[in-house]
Amino acid sequence: MRTILPLLVAMPLAAAAAQDPARMRETETVLESLVESYGVSGMEAPVREAVRRLLPAWAKSQVDTAGNLWVTVGKGEPTVVFVAHLDEVGFEVTAIGEDGLLTVESRGGIFPRLWAGRPALVHRRGRPPVAGVFLPYDSAAASTGPTDSLPMRVDLGAAGRRHAEALGVSLGSTVTSPKEYVRLAGTRATGRSFDDRVGSAAQVMALRRMDPAKLDHTVIFLWSVREEIGLEGAAAAARALGLRVTRVHAIDTFVSADSPLEPQNFAVAPLGAGPVARALDNSSVTPPALLDSLVALAAARSLPLQVGTTNGGNDGSAFEQFGVPDVPIGWPLRYAHSPVEVADLRDVAHLAELVQAVAEGW
Amino acid sequence: MAAQGPARPVDDLVRRLASITAVTGLEQQMVDTLLAMLPGAKRDRAGNVVLTIGSGPRRRLVVCPADEPGYVVGRIRDDGWLTLRRSPGRISRLRDAQLEGQRVSIVTPRGVVPGVVAVRSVHLTRGREPRTGGFTVDSALVDVGATSKADVEALGIRILSPVTLAKGLHRYGDRLIAGSMMGRRAACAALVEAARRTDAARATLSRQQAVVIAFVVEHELGRRGLATLAHTAGPFDQTLLVGGGGSGADATSNWPELGSVAIQGLVGRYAGTPVETISLPAVQGLADTLAAWIGGTR
Repeated sequence: MRTILPLLVAMPLAAAAAQDPARMRETETVLESLVESYGVSGMEAPVREAVRRLLPAWAKSQVDTAGNLWVTVGKGEPTVVFVAHLDEVGFEVTAIGEDGLLTVESRGGIFPRLWAGRPALVHRRGRPPVAGVFLPYDSAAASTGPTDSLPMRVDLGAAGRRHAEALGVSLGSTVTSPKEYVRLAGTRATGRSFDDRVGSAAQVMALRRMDPAKLDHTVIFLWSVREEIGLEGAAAAARALGLRVTRVHAIDTFVSADSPLEPQNFAVAPLGAGPVARALDNSSVTPPALLDSLVALAAARSLPLQVGTTNGGNDGSAFEQFGVPDVPIGWPLRYAHSPVEVADLRDVAHLAELVQAVAEGW
Repeated sequence: MAAQGPARPVDDLVRRLASITAVTGLEQQMVDTLLAMLPGAKRDRAGNVVLTIGSGPRRRLVVCPADEPGYVVGRIRDDGWLTLRRSPGRISRLRDAQLEGQRVSIVTPRGVVPGVVAVRSVHLTRGREPRTGGFTVDSALVDVGATSKADVEALGIRILSPVTLAKGLHRYGDRLIAGSMMGRRAACAALVEAARRTDAARATLSRQQAVVIAFVVEHELGRRGLATLAHTAGPFDQTLLVGGGGSGADATSNWPELGSVAIQGLVGRYAGTPVETISLPAVQGLADTLAAWIGGTR
């Protein structure tokens, strides 16, 4: 079996296109629009609509019964699938107390302590969210053990349970904190839910540059739901497609250890050095021959590509039960699943170019 | 968002003051803002903002602290990360812990630079030993997007640049507003609103009275601004402390020039957290109370 090195930088030089000011502006505009939409797993409609608004006019999209968004381009075989997920981590309401306080539990893997004592938004279908605050941990409770196991509650300023319910809050309502896309120094940016709005943005930008008439095979772009709670949307799409698919590419975060806080024995993909072939994670191992092909394609197009291993699962692995090889492609992200995820816009632009190159030329 | 009631002038004052970073000893922006808000106010030798109404021998003082506990840049690493140190005064570990994984503002002469405090990715902790000990300021690494010390310095960031959690204001419930140091900032806003009614106060103040309205610096550092005021503008017959920061008895014993000292503040929720919450109608009520106190009718 081939040994996968922890990290290889296949093409360290950034391609000129990603440095183009117009390209960077487009990247930022698309990403900002998606990042500032809310969509905890199971409540992805606002993000799905944001993606739809950003698609090129020629792209005909459909929504399946699971809630996934599909755009199919080209005809004939092979059939290649790209999948980025629409949802984000957050909370859901599990109880409403007589005092009007909401008890919430996390949806997806997070450190709840990062939300304690922060503003909250309780989302309602088709209506603006209700504002509140996540209760802070009191110092006594916080000193007795790990805070992440303490119950999380939300105060809406409601006078009691009936008041909270009258605001449109119910069991299962999803809860987040307000978020904002913020540009940092250089080409870096921060916000929440970059995982996987970056992947979603890259697929949008790739589609904008593709000429569907020139494709000689079928490419399906999927924006999936409920990835963070078990790849549920991707699993539904995989079942629908069955054995038709030749290859799948999850376009999702490469959780990077590019930070002094992280152990440095794997996942050290520096921000700004390009997209990352997610060669091994907790859900899949990329077949070595396909990894080599991806590296060769990136090199031929002068696109930077890192190769690395990280933790987490990816939507492409849901297709593997049908014998579909998964070749996930990510981009390096710091502080994944926190309120302050940080990415490099050059990586986002290069990711879009790589998705386009793979869709058209592999 | 839920519907909110009509905005009043004091609401805007709360918003403006609560948006300003004024780490202890580095309150320049707050002081400049207050001076601009209060025609006739002056900066004293400590840096306090002082407005005096009347010139009678019976002197009263009302003060609100202008500063806040916070941090400064302690070091700029060669790889572009910043480390922090606490500003002087008492800062709890709970306040330190609030930094982890949050956006911060770094104040420079050119404006506010956004940054984030690093946090481990939840994915990369799987199967590994859990973190030991709580998060303290010594764990805080600030990422501004720079990759070198030169990049950081080009942003105008220096050692000593003030750092606080990003100032977000959040409305919820029935005219509630949440944010860092909200109780103190809202109390100061109420005092500004009251001080702006000086024409009314002058009409009701007897010729025997004078009122000094002050916004004091370095309150978290042994209440130095208040001490200077006591020494330079006292003695006072009566002092009213608004906006928290110590007890009246301590102030009286430390600085007899303050006369009898009373405390007035806003009762809120979640004090000392980023969602410290107060009611905007209560701020209006405090402004009315302070205006009456300044005018000598209460």
